Amino acid sequence: MASTRTPQLPRLRATMGSMMEDEIQTMLLDQARRLVETEVSWQRLKALLEEPGSFDVALWEKAVELGWPAVAIAEEAGGLGLGVSALAPLLQILGEYTVSLPLVAGYVTASALAAGGVAPDVAAALAGGESMAALALGEPGESGLMPAARFADGKVTGAKAPAAFAAVATHALVSALDGATPGLYLVELGDSMREAAPTLDNARAAAALRLDGAAAIPVASGWNAVLHWASIAAALTAWEQIGGTERCLSISVAYAKERKVFGQPIGAFQAIKHKLADMYQELEIGRGCAIDALESLEAGETDRFLALAAAARLGASAAYDFASRETIQTHGGIGVTWEAEPHHHYRRARVHALELGGAPFWRDLLLDGQPALENA
Amino acid sequence: MNEVAPIQAESLADYVERARQWLDSVTPRFGSGAQRGLETEAWVALARAYQKEKAAAGFACITLPREFGGGGGTEIQKILFGQEEFKRGMPWGFYGVSLGMPVPMLLRYGEKDAIDRLVPPSIRGELLWCQLFSEPAAGSDLAALRTRAVRDGDGWRITGQKLWTSWAQYADYAIAVVRTDPTVPKHAGLTFFWLDMKSPGVEVRTVRKLAGENEINEVFLDNVYVPDSQRMGAVGDGFKVAIETLMIERYAVGDDAMGGPSLELFAARAASARINGRPALEDGQVRAALADALVERQGLRSIHRRALTAIGQGKEPGPEGSIRKLRLGHRRQILGQLLLDLLGPDGVRLDPSEVAATDAAWSWITVPGGRIAGGTDEILRNTIAEKILGLPQDYRPDKKVPFNQIP
Repeated sequence: MASTRTPQLPRLRATMGSMMEDEIQTMLLDQARRLVETEVSWQRLKALLEEPGSFDVALWEKAVELGWPAVAIAEEAGGLGLGVSALAPLLQILGEYTVSLPLVAGYVTASALAAGGVAPDVAAALAGGESMAALALGEPGESGLMPAARFADGKVTGAKAPAAFAAVATHALVSALDGATPGLYLVELGDSMREAAPTLDNARAAAALRLDGAAAIPVASGWNAVLHWASIAAALTAWEQIGGTERCLSISVAYAKERKVFGQPIGAFQAIKHKLADMYQELEIGRGCAIDALESLEAGETDRFLALAAAARLGASAAYDFASRETIQTHGGIGVTWEAEPHHHYRRARVHALELGGAPFWRDLLLDGQPALENA
Repeated sequence: MNEVAPIQAESLADYVERARQWLDSVTPRFGSGAQRGLETEAWVALARAYQKEKAAAGFACITLPREFGGGGGTEIQKILFGQEEFKRGMPWGFYGVSLGMPVPMLLRYGEKDAIDRLVPPSIRGELLWCQLFSEPAAGSDLAALRTRAVRDGDGWRITGQKLWTSWAQYADYAIAVVRTDPTVPKHAGLTFFWLDMKSPGVEVRTVRKLAGENEINEVFLDNVYVPDSQRMGAVGDGFKVAIETLMIERYAVGDDAMGGPSLELFAARAASARINGRPALEDGQVRAALADALVERQGLRSIHRRALTAIGQGKEPGPEGSIRKLRLGHRRQILGQLLLDLLGPDGVRLDPSEVAATDAAWSWITVPGGRIAGGTDEILRNTIAEKILGLPQDYRPDKKVPFNQIP
């Protein structure tokens, strides 16, 4: 889905050229806070949940105008080159409000294209927001990310599991086997390839892909390359999960202070206090892992990064799953209603934990990488 | 104190390097290998000898002033030295309480004469202090304590019973919190003293812990005389001073297995253990347990590293450091249980020559106290909920009632 707004990247580059790094970061976060406060409402988010494949086009256009798709993409690839550490806090704010924008998918796809030295026009269009990417790495019948789709003669054939943003994206980064070798391929999406099936979280703009000889450009070859880019996606997605977990904790604490039963706020009962103390612990464990993975990614580490990304993936997924289900529990009856906020998180926590491969897959990666963590 | 390098002039990295070199040089005589199979008496003798050398090398009480035999160094130096010391399994635990709380408190509240006379030999390990806080009816709820002190001329007479007092059977001196006024609410009627454990009326009985360890005691105080000059803080301020005591060691040091087997050792044991002939490490439940523990360890390491950075910059570390003990105690217990499961019927062995850091059975059987001492899991959760999240305090019907009118 192309943005109708004029790309603002040249103007943003000129503005940022005169700013310090932390000023830019502050500006981005201010913009993000303002945007979610003015443009996002639970009512609007609920509307997205109603229909399969929903996407907030107007919000995406605002994000494009602010240059968000370009934030972490390297300047050589057409981005602003501010690095993943500038993107992570932005993702965290979006995560608090279950806002779905394809920032991680766009960054990973553009960066993989740049690293593979292919389709520079697509990478630049992803940075500018004229194009939009989906990561189509999962398949029916596979908990992890090992593909069964086939690449041959410049074409990919196979079925991909519902991928976030595939309902609206112009391109997908698709995993497939070339012979016995897994790799990543760029596919320009056509409407005949996608099917926006109902999902646990319709606000993810997800669509399953049925690729029948779709034209594909090889981007990266080998299982390690697939893991590398999936791990970057996981390490960044962890920040959306941390944002969601923080929000669950804060609304649960607020509710526990306000809601009274048996003459006391429910937050005075240890059954609730201890549940929320556990939520806090899960959040901080997940955040710690996410910080370490991000620093490792920025430092350009390889083996250690893969292990830390797996830890961040598992830690952040566990934290958000736990926090979202116990947020419903803390809210009691009101927590199970459509009108209340908790189910947005309950849905989002689960689809985040699934989209890039289930926990058993990432546990294997973590255990494979354990030697790199001995003194990490 | 002699032959001690000028600490202020060296970088933190140089300091740690010097600490490592010194520790490596004494590890063969004092490290975990030298402690294997020692009975309590022999272990205490080893700990005393170690403390003497540590003080001579300038690594005892790193943050206390050099004029009393301390290291004159910084909090971050103390933490980093402690980590290195922990890694090598040095026998620091005998003086953990003595030098961690009572001696710094004496420096804050003691009379000059007492400080000059008692602090230097305490730092050298010649004198040992214990902490008379908990009682049979006052553990998590310290302010419920019943030991009484009544005025007697220039001093006080103390009568009551203390419990869970580490190393009291070897202690020369103690700090104590006692009730001086039962007619006011429980927190307001306490006063803090230091006292001589050789005073008439002090009797110590060792309480054997469930795995047979002999470090904790009950201490009976029968009309024990304490001069008023040994009062620490104002009459009625005892609870505040006790909390101040517990805050001194607010950033505790330890390894990230809380003294149990490392996750690397767990993985190695799980790889060699067999379930129906297959390596146990291939079992999904074992993999999930190990992965969970690795994630937790990484998160805690990240928290720890940020705390060290903050402390190194003279800032207060974030409150998230408080989750460490709660997580690691429980983790050590469930991993110990699982590792024993992997050993199957042979897991029942409890080899007297083994220790918790390398043996699942010893790790498992000695860990329960770790989830209770220094704040139970339940109290730690309450603290997170109340102090960090701002949730209401538990219902406390006795809080504002005069102590002697609590039913």
